[in-house]
Amino acid sequence: MDTGEDLTESSLLVVVLDVGLSRATTLRNDPVLAGQVLEAVIAFSNAHMMMRLKNLLALVACDTETTEWIYPERKADMSDLRQQDGQHELFNELERTVRRKIAQLLKRSAGSNSKGESMLSGALGRALCYVHRMQQEERQLNARVLVVTANGQSVSQYMNFMNVFFTAQKQNVLIDVCCLGPESSLLQQGCDITGGQYFRPPQPQGLLQYLLWVFLPEPLLRNKLALPPRVKVDYRAACFCHRELVDIGFVCSVCLSIVCKFSPICTTCHTLFKNPGTLPIKPKRKKAKMV
Amino acid sequence: MTSSEDVLLQVSNVRYQKKTGTLYVMNERLAWMMDNRDTVSVSHRYADIKLQKISPEGKSKIQLQVVLHDSAASTFQFTNVGGQAEQIRERDSVKDLLMQLLPKFKRKVNKELEEKNKLLTDNPTLLQLYKDLVISKVITSEEFWAQHAPKYVKENVGNKQPIGVSGAFLADIKPQTDGCNGLKYKLTSDIIESIFKTYPAVRRKHMEYVPHKMSESEFWTKFFQSHYFHRDRIHSGNKDIFTECAKIDDQDMDKEIDSGIKDPLVDINSFGDTTFSEGFGVGSDTSANSHTGNIVHQNMIKRFNQHSFMVLKACQHSITENGTAENGQKDAHTSSTVAKDDGDDEDVTVIKKRRIQEKLTYDDLESSSSNVAACLNLSRVDRYLHGPITDTNSSTDVPAEKVSSSVMRELIRLMESPLGSSHRNPAALITPALAINAVGELSPGGSLMKGFQHEASASMTPADIETDLKTLYLSVCELLRHFWACFPPTTPQLEEKATTMHETLHRFHAAKLKPFEDRVIRECSPLSHNITSHLNQLLNSAYRKFAIWQQRKMQHFR
Repeated sequence: MDTGEDLTESSLLVVVLDVGLSRATTLRNDPVLAGQVLEAVIAFSNAHMMMRLKNLLALVACDTETTEWIYPERKADMSDLRQQDGQHELFNELERTVRRKIAQLLKRSAGSNSKGESMLSGALGRALCYVHRMQQEERQLNARVLVVTANGQSVSQYMNFMNVFFTAQKQNVLIDVCCLGPESSLLQQGCDITGGQYFRPPQPQGLLQYLLWVFLPEPLLRNKLALPPRVKVDYRAACFCHRELVDIGFVCSVCLSIVCKFSPICTTCHTLFKNPGTLPIKPKRKKAKMV
Repeated sequence: MTSSEDVLLQVSNVRYQKKTGTLYVMNERLAWMMDNRDTVSVSHRYADIKLQKISPEGKSKIQLQVVLHDSAASTFQFTNVGGQAEQIRERDSVKDLLMQLLPKFKRKVNKELEEKNKLLTDNPTLLQLYKDLVISKVITSEEFWAQHAPKYVKENVGNKQPIGVSGAFLADIKPQTDGCNGLKYKLTSDIIESIFKTYPAVRRKHMEYVPHKMSESEFWTKFFQSHYFHRDRIHSGNKDIFTECAKIDDQDMDKEIDSGIKDPLVDINSFGDTTFSEGFGVGSDTSANSHTGNIVHQNMIKRFNQHSFMVLKACQHSITENGTAENGQKDAHTSSTVAKDDGDDEDVTVIKKRRIQEKLTYDDLESSSSNVAACLNLSRVDRYLHGPITDTNSSTDVPAEKVSSSVMRELIRLMESPLGSSHRNPAALITPALAINAVGELSPGGSLMKGFQHEASASMTPADIETDLKTLYLSVCELLRHFWACFPPTTPQLEEKATTMHETLHRFHAAKLKPFEDRVIRECSPLSHNITSHLNQLLNSAYRKFAIWQQRKMQHFR
């Protein structure tokens, strides 16, 4: 029935794939494993498309220099859209496109010899823009972003990440993170803020199973399933002067910069502050002395 | 007399059981002392007295009987030498005094118990607390009512609103024909109350005439017979007790009309029923303002106006008596006072504008005043934009290594094949063993699902244990509330209370919590102590606080 179809919600999944391998300790020396990871991601994307006819998928890849839009392509190359071993054309097209474009991206980055942090926040930004566009086009849409990364923390992009996370929160977009490398507290914060799932598979070889179990369910279904419990997130801010995480500090009320020790002039905005001195001590009650 | 109560009334020549003596009416009791004695023979507390009776009129003996709750009765005979009238007077004075005093004491004893019962039945939480704390002897019943119940008691005490007067109350007294040309009027105390409120003159008459000159029924019969009540008030000729009332009413009306309407927004003159007469008003003005109307009609209209006026005045009086004022009344008063003070036209318009403005604007719907924001001058703009970068994190970070070209080549080669390896060999994606491993880790109880113990226990508890746990929480939280309210103990009473509450908590722990835990372990062992761990935590922190406080006290006293 047409009315039935209109009422179902479609689910948009945007996969953000971090292809920068220079900091990925587990993957940079093991191409087979890296290839397996990529294939698992593709299979997972197919599984998502298989869940419902109206589901949508997008893929963004990023490495140390660029972010690249992988899927869906603007100009579809229809040349080799022939069925092979009975696979559904959609899945076929998806796989071919993704593999081709990632190969192109890898070739470019191999040629440029760059190393460093990946442009993950930029890729997330592009993903959110796509989500925003699809939310205008589709009437009922729930969107989530899956970040697959093998790199650790990208501290230099702290502010960008925070902007992305809060934007996603405003747009009701979940950000899931599948972290193959070292723990990233920044991404953990993002998952916590948006309500997504942060997961670190103990064995990268079994990645597909982990992905299917943890990240395939839609947001509404998740609270009915027993998924891995939320981790305790370290929300401590870093002070501006020493760049160390502080529990208790001083905040400038004008520019909101955090410092660990009091200074009469805020270093960022030059506001003057009065010295608070010591904290006021409550006058001790005099107890009656026994004679 | 050795008692310390005040003697309100003393009547001599009162006989009790054939002996003469003196009757004393005191603050809390009624006492009778025989002549030539100095100890009281008979004494009855007002609280014990159920009711008093007087001998009917016409009997030779003038007696007053006091009936107690346990059906014992004492009869006092008034034997004043001055004669029956004196005796009657004395007896009536005693009776009146008792009538005032008895109600105060009468209901106290039962009422307390009744109130307590009502409270317990109305608040099931209070009942539960009572059962847990008092019946298991954790705290005594007096402590319970003193400390824990007042919160619930206070809810019942509210401001009683005065009941207004219905405009139709006189009409509601529907007369019933008696069969033989008579009319029966049914009067209830509410109607009487309304009549008194509306017509204070009638109340004055009532107080004068009843019960001395005539009885209640006679008074009301006269009232209904008089033309004062009926719509045709031809009261010039009759010698009725109510003619005065009518005259007073007339005078009141005239006074009010003279003083005029003080509300500037009300324009009485525009109430006229002006219609376009024949000829669309151009013709001669005939019927609108003529006074050729029936006298009877005019009288009736005057009656209506008077009645409404008295009803409104009654409500106004009751409001100002109680000290609170309705908004409309208040406005009328304030605006009237302002008008009276200045009496200028200008002020009248100001008052009118103010009144209209009050009706138009709602203060809490208006937006609050906007704050003037300070301008942000940044010197280190990059700091503001990019935030702090934690150095420590980056130091522990993995140093970026260039990926070896061979690896890259291999990877590119893998990726360049249009279809993945899974097409040839499905197990290349994931081996079954690894998949099963992953599933095992992710299932409840697996290595990745560690935080779920507490959540699962909620579904495992049987219903009766759950309810018991809830009641335990209720009692513990109530006791802890009182305990923590004692800190910091600034007065000796608070210190005492803290000590008693501490002991109470220990008693509760032993009497209620331990058996519950044992029961849980016996009946539902997978839960074990997790379910009561929070309760234990609460109690332990209370014990700790008490211990620290005791320690500090000891240190100070050294």
